[in-house]
Amino acid sequence: MKVLIIEDEAGLREVVQQSLEKEKYIIEIAHDYISGFDKLGSYDYDCILIDIMLPNGSGLDLLQEIKRQKKQSTVIIISAKDAVDDKVKGLNLGADDYISKPFHLSELHARIKSAMRRNNHNGDNSIVWKNITLSPEQRTVFIDKKELILNRKEFDLLYYFIINPNRLINKTAIAEYVWGDHTDQADNLDFVYSQIKNLRKKLKDSYAEIDIQAVYGIGYKMN
Amino acid sequence: MKLQNYTLRYLAITLLLVIPIWAGIFYVLILDEVYDNIDDDLKNSKIIIVRHAFADRKLLNSPEFGINKFTIKPLPKGNYKNKDEFFSTKEFMEYDNDDEPIRILKAVFKDEKGNPYELIIKASTVEEDDLLEDLFLALIGLYIMLVISILVVNHLLLKKIWKSFHVILDNLKEIKLGTGSRLKAIHSPIDEFNILAKEVEKMLNRNESIYSSQKQFIENASHELQTPLAISINKLELFAENSVLPEDQMIEIGKITDTLNRLTRLNKSLLMLSKIENQQFPEEENINFNELISLLAEDYSDLADFKKVKISITENDSLHFKINKGLAIALISNLLKNALIHNHHEGFVNFIINNKEIIISNSGNNSPLNSDVIFNRFYRHTTTNESTGLGLSIVRSITNNYSLSVEYTFNGNHQFKINFPKK
Repeated sequence: MKVLIIEDEAGLREVVQQSLEKEKYIIEIAHDYISGFDKLGSYDYDCILIDIMLPNGSGLDLLQEIKRQKKQSTVIIISAKDAVDDKVKGLNLGADDYISKPFHLSELHARIKSAMRRNNHNGDNSIVWKNITLSPEQRTVFIDKKELILNRKEFDLLYYFIINPNRLINKTAIAEYVWGDHTDQADNLDFVYSQIKNLRKKLKDSYAEIDIQAVYGIGYKMN
Repeated sequence: MKLQNYTLRYLAITLLLVIPIWAGIFYVLILDEVYDNIDDDLKNSKIIIVRHAFADRKLLNSPEFGINKFTIKPLPKGNYKNKDEFFSTKEFMEYDNDDEPIRILKAVFKDEKGNPYELIIKASTVEEDDLLEDLFLALIGLYIMLVISILVVNHLLLKKIWKSFHVILDNLKEIKLGTGSRLKAIHSPIDEFNILAKEVEKMLNRNESIYSSQKQFIENASHELQTPLAISINKLELFAENSVLPEDQMIEIGKITDTLNRLTRLNKSLLMLSKIENQQFPEEENINFNELISLLAEDYSDLADFKKVKISITENDSLHFKINKGLAIALISNLLKNALIHNHHEGFVNFIINNKEIIISNSGNNSPLNSDVIFNRFYRHTTTNESTGLGLSIVRSITNNYSLSVEYTFNGNHQFKINFPKK
């Protein structure tokens, strides 16, 4: 899969590139509007990450260019502005998702994969991990073809782990994904632990081949 | 007390003192002038009578007043002072059927033979008591007229003059920094008011520009911080993911990440605050707070369950209000979050929804919070951990934007009440 990152901040570009390369994606980078425009004209990409504020141009203009060229790429906008305006404008122009800085890498991966999956209209969209088959649309989980009933939060948790295999996931990222922004300011995230404990127990009871490990002080890792 | 009544009060008291003093002086002067006039007249009469007496000796023997206004009586020979004597007395007058004041001139003159005669001339004079009475009545009239005319002038003229001043006052009341409120122009003939209005406007513009540049600064600073924060967090995440580190070092990295996450929240809260104050949440819709509260209570149930805090909702009425949805959520969730975080194990949070108010009370620390400062930015009751100290100031900003009010009371439990405007 080919991914283009159009981002002017070298530090961020680098870290996103490194993290995405671990997924075996082929990464191209552009550092401003002009080089981004050139890359868009020369190649096709499966996924494009665009920063809105770029030197010598706006990411939103690049987005329009992508749509003008009728490219099938999945586009995710990255912005330092958490402004609703930008978000609405970006999504109206045809972006598939919007993520505002600062974000967790696990969140970026989840957004890319979800957006790619939504764009993939042909075929089965379920995600398979060892003996677990998870269908995001139907919100069902099968373990060795036997359905496991999970509540909404447990399903979201499992989905987040399966979409981020072998990654160290920060507990804040999990909390924000499952419980939304409401976990802002929550004095501790201990309630996340208890939810994960429940999920683990359910998975273990139905013999799922999954291993969610706590990484003390940081969060979790599934492998 | 209004300015015009205030001045009127002092003017009325002052006039009450000034007018009698003036009247006393006026009375003395007038009386003096009247006597002076009468005395001059009497002296003149004396000269004419004496001249006639020399021509017509019959006149030298007129002991009765009769129809004349004088008497002449011969005096035994002797040495008399050649001096005019004046005095006032009273005499019965038929016309008035009363004693009336008269002025008398008594003089001694000698005929050509040297015989002395006494001449008495009388003249009717002013009735002092009547004069006093008239003067008194006239002065009361004058006083009343003065006060009435001051009242009228104050009322009409001052009202007209001070109109501009009231416009300035209204302007000052209306001023809300950051809303770009304009001052109403004044057209006053009074220089002072024009200067005042001009200076107020200058001051407002100055404050407005300082205010907006400060707001701009906070907003820009917060935006500029997002990218470095993103880089730091992501680099650390990647580092922790890629490295095989001993547990204690992982814990340290975890702490750094937590701190950066806290910084992120702080930054987002600051941005949110400045956006609320910039009124950058224009879309409004009619929000059903009953639904919103039960939805948020559900969202927070995991956090509440973990602390074994019971959330209950008492709906006495249904409450709808036109507000931006995001802000409505922020308003309730900040209060709910607060109530959960500053709660104890197995405590409670209770919502009461009335017609025009929402009351949220919770168990917690047994001492009341200082209601003067809890809504201030960065005020923290406890030095705990993760709180940004901005939650309640966001609540206050939202309520200010929609003319709601929020108040804190302590009655064994902590209680926040949001009052909605009565339409």
